[in-house]
Amino acid sequence: MGSGPSAYLVLGLLVITSLALLVSREWRWVLAAFGLQYLLAFLMIIPSWPVDLAVVKLVAGWMATAILGLTLLNLPEEPRESEARFPRSPAFLGLVAGVVTVMVSGAAPALANWSRQFSVTQAWAGLFLMGIGVMQVGLGSGVFRNIMGLLILLSGFEIIYAGVEISILVAGLLAILNLGLALIGSYLMQAPTAEPRH
Amino acid sequence: MTSALLWIILPAFLGIALLLYPRQDSFPLFAAAGVCIFLSWAAWRLPIDVVLQLGPFSVEIAPAFIMFGRSFTLAEAQAPLLAFIYLMEALWILGAHLARPGRLFIPLSLICVGLLVAALAVEPFLYAALIIAMAAMLLVPLLTPAGAGGAGVLRFLKFQILAVPFVLFTGWILSGVEASPGDLNLVLRGALLLALGFAFLLALFPFHSWLPLLAKESHPYVFGFLAFFLPNIGLIFGLGFFDRYGWLRTSEFAYPLLLFAGGLTVLLGGLWAAGEPHPARMLGYACMACTGFGLQALGLGSAQVFFALLLPQAFAVWGWATSLSMLSMVNGPGMQTEDLRAKASFRPLAGIVWLVAMFSLAGLPLLGSFPGRLALLDGAAAVSSWAAAGGLIGSLGLLAGGARFLHATLAGSQAKRPHWVEEVEPAPTSKKSIDASNPYVWAFAVVTLLSLLGFGLLPHVFLAAVPGLAAMFSQLSP
Repeated sequence: MGSGPSAYLVLGLLVITSLALLVSREWRWVLAAFGLQYLLAFLMIIPSWPVDLAVVKLVAGWMATAILGLTLLNLPEEPRESEARFPRSPAFLGLVAGVVTVMVSGAAPALANWSRQFSVTQAWAGLFLMGIGVMQVGLGSGVFRNIMGLLILLSGFEIIYAGVEISILVAGLLAILNLGLALIGSYLMQAPTAEPRH
Repeated sequence: MTSALLWIILPAFLGIALLLYPRQDSFPLFAAAGVCIFLSWAAWRLPIDVVLQLGPFSVEIAPAFIMFGRSFTLAEAQAPLLAFIYLMEALWILGAHLARPGRLFIPLSLICVGLLVAALAVEPFLYAALIIAMAAMLLVPLLTPAGAGGAGVLRFLKFQILAVPFVLFTGWILSGVEASPGDLNLVLRGALLLALGFAFLLALFPFHSWLPLLAKESHPYVFGFLAFFLPNIGLIFGLGFFDRYGWLRTSEFAYPLLLFAGGLTVLLGGLWAAGEPHPARMLGYACMACTGFGLQALGLGSAQVFFALLLPQAFAVWGWATSLSMLSMVNGPGMQTEDLRAKASFRPLAGIVWLVAMFSLAGLPLLGSFPGRLALLDGAAAVSSWAAAGGLIGSLGLLAGGARFLHATLAGSQAKRPHWVEEVEPAPTSKKSIDASNPYVWAFAVVTLLSLLGFGLLPHVFLAAVPGLAAMFSQLSP
């Protein structure tokens, strides 16, 4: 894939799914975008890693999505988000995504140029997902949003780190970390008072 | 047999097996404590990488265990640290009998300690960040039993996960620094990432906010376990950085930065502890200050000072967490200052251990942390008076907090609380001094008090293991 047109197409889809994750309030759409995002992240990793190793990330990501989805499906009521801390309007969240885009558009070419171990599109995708993940973690007011943010952050990190390190152990440990986070999220969502108190 | 099999896989598998153990009896406690004591003894007495003749059999503990092309290495140099870690884990498991942190504590703490040892053994050592994050996640069910969690556990999880990318990216940049050590830009980028990664990992200011939150939300014993093991394993991981990378030791900014960051952490931890009315939250601030002292020891480039601080701290935090858990079980869960006298009068031994542990962590002369603290402040004063002043003021803050609790415990009954009605809260005389008849409580009190007084009064005996522990960092010990 490298930096050809298909790479830019995947990058564009990644940006769209990230925006959907940030803006959408309906957890079913969020999880659908999340599953698609893992597929796109897998496509981004393929130029750096052998397919059989990269598949580990895809499977772990989809399993994490399934864990969160099954938990939400079985919850007696849908997760609520507090409006007290930050606005939830699409305009505000679009502005947040804009800030991330501006920062990444400055950093990604320089990072790719400096490292020479991954392409500009991989740097863009990785940094953008990390930025959106950090924003989700910072703005998220519930367990679901926070865990999603951490998983998106790790997903972006894995795209960049795949270009730096090819290791089965790292792939395994990161997969365990992803699944563990999803399981912890599931545990905390089922705990009645696990939402942050303000 | 490999060392990883003995000190990583065996405790982790035992933990998993105990998770599946169906009955609620004392078997998990004695099995886990017995195995930890054996592992501590084995690390102390059995040589690694030497063939032992046991009758017709020959046994060798090989130092390296290869997994997926990477190695987990526990060599002879790490043996004293393994002995210490498993001795402390044995104490935490035995203390669970008194503290009652829940039946998951023993199996999960065993798996967690196995993971933390794996973090110290893994090569390349930067992967430790991933394993530490896994250990942190494992503790979440203990921190939020029966859905009693809150903002603290979520923040703790966030900061531990955020540390992972920073530390792993640091490793990548450091490989570039090794290739071209003259590239100042690269060095600065690496140092910045490293600083951020460790700030998240060690709960340094301003990423410390989960410590007091979690201290109040969770069981004091589980919190004490977490607040002792995670930051200290992180600090040992940090010592590894300085031991391996010569450019970090020779750089102009690394040691002063550590002294400053450590001094600031101690200062803030101490000052917040001085004004904190909740004893569990104060434990959180005290642990924050201890992390700052450890960072200052790192800033002096001295593994000996670091371990001289660590050994008494281990006993003090254990004693504090156990006694606080025992006190919290008396007369309901309220742990405000005004509740303390009533609680301490029913559990006098727990109250005494709690106060001694608190003053020991504060660095009161003749108690556990004093010799290490004196060496640290002496060294810091010679290099940076600001860092030494921060450490000193932080210690005074901890002492002030301790003095406040001492006053509340001894004289609390004279100050009547608002809406206090004597008839509504009669002293349950039948439960008076329940500590005195319990040999287990006596054993706990004697072990804790003797060790804390011993570290302070006979440091040459009780801190004799320090040179052996520091020897694993050959570049940071004389």
